Amino acid sequence: MERKLSREELLKLAAAGGAAALATGPVGLARAALAAESGRLQVLDWAGYGNDGGQSMFAAYVKKYPNNKPQFTYMTNESDALAKLHAGLRPDVFRPYVGWTKYFATSGLVQPWDPKLLTNFKHLNPFMVKAGQYNGKQYGIPDDWGFDAILYRSDKVKPKAKSWSLIFDDRYKGKIAWFDDLNMLTVAGLYLGFKNPWNQTDAQLKQSQNLLKSKKKNVRLIWSSETNLWEAFGSGELWIAYAWPNDWVQMKKKGLKVVYMRPKEKPIAWVGMLMLLKGSPRPKLAHAYVDAWSSAKSGKWLEDNYGYGHANTLARPTSSDLLRALQLTNPRAVTLPNAYLDRDIPRRAVYARMWEEVKAA
Amino acid sequence: MGRSQGSLRGHIATPALLGLPVAWLIAFFVVPIVIVGLYSVDVYSLFPGAHGFTLGAWHGFLHSSVYLGLFWKSVKMALIVSAVVVALAYPVAYYLALSGTKRKYVLLLVLIAPFLTSYLLRVLAWKVILGNNGVLNSFLAWTGIRSANHPLSQLLYSRFAVILVLAYVWVPFVALPIFVSLDNLDRRLLEAASDLYASRWQAFLRVTFPLSLPGVVAAFFFVFIPTVGEFVTPSLVGGTSGYMYGNQIADLFSTGFPDWETGSVLALFLLGVVAVLTLCFARFTQAREAT
Repeated sequence: MERKLSREELLKLAAAGGAAALATGPVGLARAALAAESGRLQVLDWAGYGNDGGQSMFAAYVKKYPNNKPQFTYMTNESDALAKLHAGLRPDVFRPYVGWTKYFATSGLVQPWDPKLLTNFKHLNPFMVKAGQYNGKQYGIPDDWGFDAILYRSDKVKPKAKSWSLIFDDRYKGKIAWFDDLNMLTVAGLYLGFKNPWNQTDAQLKQSQNLLKSKKKNVRLIWSSETNLWEAFGSGELWIAYAWPNDWVQMKKKGLKVVYMRPKEKPIAWVGMLMLLKGSPRPKLAHAYVDAWSSAKSGKWLEDNYGYGHANTLARPTSSDLLRALQLTNPRAVTLPNAYLDRDIPRRAVYARMWEEVKAA
Repeated sequence: MGRSQGSLRGHIATPALLGLPVAWLIAFFVVPIVIVGLYSVDVYSLFPGAHGFTLGAWHGFLHSSVYLGLFWKSVKMALIVSAVVVALAYPVAYYLALSGTKRKYVLLLVLIAPFLTSYLLRVLAWKVILGNNGVLNSFLAWTGIRSANHPLSQLLYSRFAVILVLAYVWVPFVALPIFVSLDNLDRRLLEAASDLYASRWQAFLRVTFPLSLPGVVAAFFFVFIPTVGEFVTPSLVGGTSGYMYGNQIADLFSTGFPDWETGSVLALFLLGVVAVLTLCFARFTQAREAT
């Protein structure tokens, strides 16, 4: 039944295609191309956000595209993701956090999303949406979010002030936990009162580093996974920690008397930004996947089960504790005057090296 | 004719036998090290763009008191672990090899039984023992030695925890080479020592121990070499003070911002030190065999 097309027929088809393209415009062309997407959607994401517990976040996508289920590779942090991408991994979607938006948008590794293809886009927190933009294009779709602030045991710790100083406090030597991230230099900069802790001068960075080095003697643990923190904090090894809202909720659940302090220098807000890789062969599927992640239903599930905030403003957790910790009734919770939304660190490599030196010192 | 055929067969057989392992070694050991070397001088880079040969990372490392200090700290920890492990494993191996028990191989199997469980599980089990609410602190509180409100908190997330856990992990492994050297001991030498009125202690010091020394040295290096670059155990039970050189290498490659250049320098430096130590060890054992 196979039939070869004559040159004349081919030209006719091409003309018809051209006419159709003119009639439907570029979007129509793109949609026609997208219809041909095949294979499993490749997702580079954090542990817990894939088939290892995060299935509810993309259940709507799997239902709609059962033949294109997501296939996950896990990243431990943005640095790890960056190494994987440069080493040749080609996912369709991955998730850096807001401080990396500019870096990736200018890296040539990602392409902007088409918000028109996302039905839930209009419900996403506008401050977070803006943070996902670069040069007016939407490179990051915000979903999960939270704060970096201070968790402490109110029955053991008496803070001198509502300040980041608590995580440096000599009185609590051996009972303090820091987070394993170069963000610690930003926090040190905030505490030291620098104008722009994300872009410190060499002298300021040295000062921040010296502060961290001198106070490291007080630190029992530099945590890199929440379970690690919960275990140590829950068993009484720690009384003070650089922590996220969910950590406060989890420790409360354990019956500990804990306070989640918002330091006067302000907490830092972080937002997960789903990004579309340049040259992805499955952009439509990627949009559908991100749309599923962005729904209010997914948002509520994330809040209830993982204790993180969700960018969908319609999502509300069952727990009033979490609602308070995340200030979910305040759409400006992640921005000034409430908090600093984490931002680009132009000299990230320098910050990273200096943080590594703190750990090694 | 037969001789030349045999020689020819030898000429063919040797490369055929050695070819695969040598190719394996080149492909999965030499080539990766060369690649790491190229990363360390920025000829290879994770990031696209023009890169040129530079010794900047090497210069930075050799002039960094931080990295060298951390290396020295790891060496000291590894030395302590190795010494403790050998001291603990020696009596075990001695008993198994020289007590004359008929069940020595059964006991040996029991000794290495922990290897049948996951390394990670064995390390994590120590968290249950050493934690504030762990077995040890609960026992101290129960006996009244320590108040339940003031547990020994330095047991976990400390340098002590890393040394203890590593010692525990390595003891069975290290007992094996010592056992082998003691098991091969010529018993007639001990009888001769006894005939010459040497006490058991003198016989041990003058005969048994010197002859088991190659096994002891091998055991020592078996522990020291992997321990100096260890990163799993310190990351699980070490906390801030138990952070080791291996953790730094892992972190340079994967956290903050990838710095494969410095990470490669640290890794190669470790490799170099380990290679020198291995050579020293080989020389030592050769010298002992010669005498």
